[in-house]
Amino acid sequence: MPERWSDYLAIFMSALAVGYVVFEIDRRRRKLHDLIDVLGGEDAKLTEGLVSMVESGELRPYTGATLD
Amino acid sequence: MLREAVVTEPPNQVAQHASPVNEEPRFQIFIVDGGWNSPAHKVLHENFGMLRDLTKGNPIYVLSREKSIEFILSQPSLSGKGPAIIVHDLAALREGGTGSFHGFRLHLGIMHSEEQALLALQLFARFLATHRRSVDLEAEIRRDLRREGIIGAIEIILQHEPRELGG
Repeated sequence: MPERWSDYLAIFMSALAVGYVVFEIDRRRRKLHDLIDVLGGEDAKLTEGLVSMVESGELRPYTGATLD
Repeated sequence: MLREAVVTEPPNQVAQHASPVNEEPRFQIFIVDGGWNSPAHKVLHENFGMLRDLTKGNPIYVLSREKSIEFILSQPSLSGKGPAIIVHDLAALREGGTGSFHGFRLHLGIMHSEEQALLALQLFARFLATHRRSVDLEAEIRRDLRREGIIGAIEIILQHEPRELGG
């Protein structure tokens, strides 16, 4: 057991530092997954919506050099 | 009598394999943009030519503003994240349909600054160019995301200036 209050303070500060790193890594991981997400089974409707627009001719490959 | 001789050279096999022009498209790329006046919208418009050149051989479909809004309303998962770039992996779609992994999407609209949006767009274009012949795209995406996470963790620990994408 720590005997001095400064030991308790050091342990507390170390725990805070570790907690901050864990929190920050998790926050970045979530942000990255918000930014880039894989399409899986739960996105079937989204994909089918786009595919049907292509198959029906509603959407055609864009040939313009710039976006209007 | 003069005859016109047409000499055809045998095709260069190596060059054909190296050229993406003769390849079947690997991806279908969709741009869904409701038209928010955001840094991401500006970056996408300013760099579309570059994106198109880097993804040559893969068709790009641009939904009109009206069509984008209609589509976003029917797909709430896209709401507030546009412009979004959705990529279908045609090889995965042929193999497993829409029931399992079949592509990925980039939510450019969650980038709060032009710098972040440009960085994300560059990473995305590089990824497409690098992995267009990938056998297992899903594994490569997950590996890249994991690597980004690890690099981020190292940067935090070393207290380097974080090259944060998420803002």
